[in-house]
Amino acid sequence: MLEVKNLTKTLPNGRRLLDGISFKVKKGEFVGILGSSGAGKTLTLRCLNGLLKPDSGSVIIRDEHDRPLDICKINKRELRRVRQKIGVIFQGYHLVKRLSALENVMIGKLGQINTFRSLFYGFTDTEAEQALKALDKVKMSELAGSMTGNLSGGEMQRVAIARAIFQSPTLLLADEPISNLDPSNAKTIMKMIKPLSEHMPVIGVFHQPEMTAKYCSRVIAIKEGKIIYDGDPKLSNKRLEEIYGEELELIEQQEHLLAAIAK
Amino acid sequence: MQARMYSFKRYRKFILPLIILLAVTEGAAIICGATFGKLFEGLYRGIAFFGNMYPPDWSAFSEMLEPALQSIVIAFLGTVFGALMSIVFALLAASNLSHPWVRAITRFLIGLERSIPEIVILILLVAAFGLGAMPGVVALSLGCIGMLGKLLADIIEEIDPLMIESIESVGGNKLQVIVFGVLPQIIPNIISYTLFRFEINIRLSVLLGAVGAGGVGYELDYSFGMLQYHRAFTAMIIIIAMVFATEQLSYYLRKKLKMEGALK
Repeated sequence: MLEVKNLTKTLPNGRRLLDGISFKVKKGEFVGILGSSGAGKTLTLRCLNGLLKPDSGSVIIRDEHDRPLDICKINKRELRRVRQKIGVIFQGYHLVKRLSALENVMIGKLGQINTFRSLFYGFTDTEAEQALKALDKVKMSELAGSMTGNLSGGEMQRVAIARAIFQSPTLLLADEPISNLDPSNAKTIMKMIKPLSEHMPVIGVFHQPEMTAKYCSRVIAIKEGKIIYDGDPKLSNKRLEEIYGEELELIEQQEHLLAAIAK
Repeated sequence: MQARMYSFKRYRKFILPLIILLAVTEGAAIICGATFGKLFEGLYRGIAFFGNMYPPDWSAFSEMLEPALQSIVIAFLGTVFGALMSIVFALLAASNLSHPWVRAITRFLIGLERSIPEIVILILLVAAFGLGAMPGVVALSLGCIGMLGKLLADIIEEIDPLMIESIESVGGNKLQVIVFGVLPQIIPNIISYTLFRFEINIRLSVLLGAVGAGGVGYELDYSFGMLQYHRAFTAMIIIIAMVFATEQLSYYLRKKLKMEGALK
């Protein structure tokens, strides 16, 4: 359960990046945030796990004792504690390239284990086993030992998902998880993220309305820092034009491409 | 119309700088009293002196092995301690890891160290510790900080900020960011730069030896001082062999080093 209330963020020059963003997300929902570049999608997502502090507004999340916590107002120490339970999948390339895939998965639990133990990479056998299981879920267990930098974009993104699974969060955030991938890899990744929403709310930023229409349970569209649509993921052409302006043609092309691949 | 290849206009802009360079060179030569006549005279005398040194005194070879080893050990220890200190300094001097104030102070210390020649540090340390290998090791360790500290700090600043954020965003603290996000990425650079610094330290340890840090540099200085030129020649051969061998070894190791996925 996550509640976002009235987020605003203004640049020193007066430009409004976020302008009263509010929404609620429950367990079981897979929310896709759409919008053209610079609309404030990623900024919103970064506010949700405290990587960015908004000028005003609040992000309420429930901690393990079911107490409400406002991510925008807590101190660094509490923020670290809250973040243990927030999984993130970034837009590719956020994994540590010179560590193995397995070690990158282990990083998911860094906040939860003893610091001193973690500094010596002292993971227990059970933890290693769970990490391997997580890798197995995304069909990457065979590549567990290989250096992450040598993996392909799709494989890296699967490791990132395994990392989130291993972390066992209560909220999952995904920032453009499929933008660097080809359509078929993108589909695989979406298929892997979707079932996670049964256990926790999943919020993702996407550039592909055809993907969100297919896999998400709800779509939020942001334009110039404001929510202009919140509801059914299947968007009409008119709605798409409202969101993207003239970029519509490109999207239709992508749909053709996807249909061709599906055949 | 075809452009004229050797037109005066093309070279006009070089004339003034060339005249200035020649004038400055001539001025510098007058100040330090250097002339071409003296250069050839000196060269002639140098070659004649070299003839006096030949042949090397091989009987001194065995007794010089220990000082040579001592020089290598000084360079090795200096490099190891220096590299370890440099990593700490580099982490503190990287803008993406440390507080702006801490960074400014550390960068200043690194720059300060770089501006002091090792030989000055050694002379100060000899006053503190007395003659011997100890001040040599400390001087070389400190000498590493100026170079390795800066190079490594710059490398750390090039690390993708997403990589650091992604560890912070699972609740990792600063130490975990360093151990999981930073060190794995820069270890190849650390090894490569440290090997390079080891080459420099071998040469410096010979030089520092002559000033009071012991080792084969001291043997060379001592032999010259006692006018035992054949013995000095042996020391020179040993020094050249030592420097050449370490450079080759370091080059070989650096070539073998896997830079896969590392920052270059």
